[in-house]
Amino acid sequence: MTDGTGATDSPKTVAPKAGGGFLLRLFRRLTRKNSLVGRLIRLASVWFIFSLVITGIALTAYFHQAALQRFQLNVKQIADNLYADTDIDHSGKVVTPPFFDTRTTRVYSGLYWQVSEIDAKGAINDAARSRSLWNEHIPIPATTLADAKARIGEGVFYDSIGPEDEPLRVAAVYSKIDGRAFVFLAAEDRAPMDKDVRRFALITAAALIVLALGSLVAIFIQVRVGLRPLFDLTDEIAHIQGGTQQRLLKSYPAEITPVATQLNAFLDYSQEVVERQRMHVGNLAHALKTPLAVLMASAGNQEGELPEIMRKQAETMRAQVDHHLRRARAAARSQALGERTPVEPVLDELAVMLEQVFQDKGVIIDWRAPDDLAFRGERQDLQEIAGNLLENASIWCRKKVRITADFNPADQSMSLAIEDDGPGLDEARFDEVLKRGARLDESVPGSGLGLSIVDELVRAYGGTLTFGKSQIGGLKVSAKLPANLDGAAV
Amino acid sequence: MRILLAEDDPDLSRQLKASLSDAGYVVDHAPDGEEAHFLGDTEPYDCIILDLGLPKIDGVSVLERWRREGKTTPVLILTARGAWSDKVSGFDAGADDYLTKPFHTEELLARLRALVRRAAGHAQPMLVCGGVRLDPRAARASVNGEPLRLTSLEYRLLHYLMMHQNRVISRTELVEHLYDQDFDRDSNTIEVFMGRLRKKIGNERIETVRGLGYRLKPLHDEVSDL
Repeated sequence: MTDGTGATDSPKTVAPKAGGGFLLRLFRRLTRKNSLVGRLIRLASVWFIFSLVITGIALTAYFHQAALQRFQLNVKQIADNLYADTDIDHSGKVVTPPFFDTRTTRVYSGLYWQVSEIDAKGAINDAARSRSLWNEHIPIPATTLADAKARIGEGVFYDSIGPEDEPLRVAAVYSKIDGRAFVFLAAEDRAPMDKDVRRFALITAAALIVLALGSLVAIFIQVRVGLRPLFDLTDEIAHIQGGTQQRLLKSYPAEITPVATQLNAFLDYSQEVVERQRMHVGNLAHALKTPLAVLMASAGNQEGELPEIMRKQAETMRAQVDHHLRRARAAARSQALGERTPVEPVLDELAVMLEQVFQDKGVIIDWRAPDDLAFRGERQDLQEIAGNLLENASIWCRKKVRITADFNPADQSMSLAIEDDGPGLDEARFDEVLKRGARLDESVPGSGLGLSIVDELVRAYGGTLTFGKSQIGGLKVSAKLPANLDGAAV
Repeated sequence: MRILLAEDDPDLSRQLKASLSDAGYVVDHAPDGEEAHFLGDTEPYDCIILDLGLPKIDGVSVLERWRREGKTTPVLILTARGAWSDKVSGFDAGADDYLTKPFHTEELLARLRALVRRAAGHAQPMLVCGGVRLDPRAARASVNGEPLRLTSLEYRLLHYLMMHQNRVISRTELVEHLYDQDFDRDSNTIEVFMGRLRKKIGNERIETVRGLGYRLKPLHDEVSDL
């Protein structure tokens, strides 16, 4: 694939930074406001992440609820058993049923029960407690007591702190036996259950995060692959701008086909318009110039004031026609896209031709250009630029003319330097010549050096024309023009 | 001196014919491509002035036909389209000089004098090496009948090689014979020109003899032809 191009600000010229910057670039690309990929991915991920978070919360909450219920069922059962089997003997002493669960007999085991009596004044006295409680006491908050009283025999749950500062879940059943009020409590260390719930939440979160990341990658790939035709289209357009191809060549999916077709039609049309304009301009030139030649030829044979005026005016008209037709052509050309011209053959044929034209003088034209150098523009224009400069040099030189084309990879341009061994030009006049070129409207058409034509063309390609002293003695004119290095490959 | 003027514009033709006659030329006039081709083919002109925008057959085609038929009469082309692409295609077809319309009559006369003088140079024998032919008088060369377009340095190189064909010629010898004293004698340039010449006449025709130089020789199947 060819490299991006210099003069236009194509997306390819943004040089990628070193490998480490990949994530940064990806991030930048995704957050870029006008990126289609970014939009799709942002949209998809917002919804996706939102639903994942909701799912995570719901799952954890459900698990928590279910675990707590199961846990409470257990303590409630103990409290119920306690309530059902507790009796008061004839001496008024509270008799509790035997529990076989060893946890209730091991000290601070985490499973406790307690029977508390509430006397007429509302004070709470423990009538009995499990051995596991030892001397400790499970407190009953007043609000819970009130709740329990409201639902006699049904029981309520609350959280409390155990003898070893462990968190407890307590089931409390309020009831009266033989007219005395009791609260039957069963409590169990809830830390293992909380741990389970936390672990479940963690695992769920981890799984969901993995799922989210995987899905983001999948979405990214999907969007990239799905939009690949669009990227292809962008690439092709960049190539067309860079001048390495003329039309869209790939086939596109149905959704983009109309765009591609239209674009191709437009490219064809623009090419056709350029072509037509040039033909038109050429015809006009042909139509005007022969009559002018007649005028000049008839005036040339005669002496007198009238023929002199005719000669002068015809000459001016010729120059004006040349000047304006060339400008129109240059303007038409600069809009044409994608042309490329290998430099070597153009220089060769011009050198051969001009040496023949200046055969009597014995002009030697030495040209140098890399084989694969290509001018990013039309052949005719390169011929025009090099031809005019070479002709000038051939006129002014003693014997030697040198034309050298060098590629400059930094800005994808070439410098076309034409030198001769003639008298050269005073440095003071460099500016003068350039200035004349710079103010095109005031430029004298068909000036002695014919440089204004070249200058207009070079400018139409966004290049520059500079003057200097040649190493072989005379003038050196350098034109900077857009170029590629793969001319031979195409 | 007999001249063919092929130009379709009657006014311009009349003017030019008058000027040319004044300058001492005998002028025939052809108003279209067909007649121009016929006259150029049958009459022995010293020079032909050919407008490229002729009716019936355009100038470039007429010129191409003449050259294909072996006519070597010098041809000066007149073109209204001053574009270099037109001039180049005119030269590819075999023109010797060009003039862009409109032009001064004096300019035309000067160019004509130069062309006629050039063509009248004394005859030198044709150099032949296999399918390569070089005509030193016209400074033209061809490969298998196809005309070669050579720059003067390439031509000089080929000329020297043709004069010493089948002999190994060292790079130093070539440098000495190709350039004037003051030309930069960079021996790299010989390789550059050798490369271009090979491209134009065929790679196998010039042999590189390692350490010694170059040798021009006919192709194997061409030797038997001679």
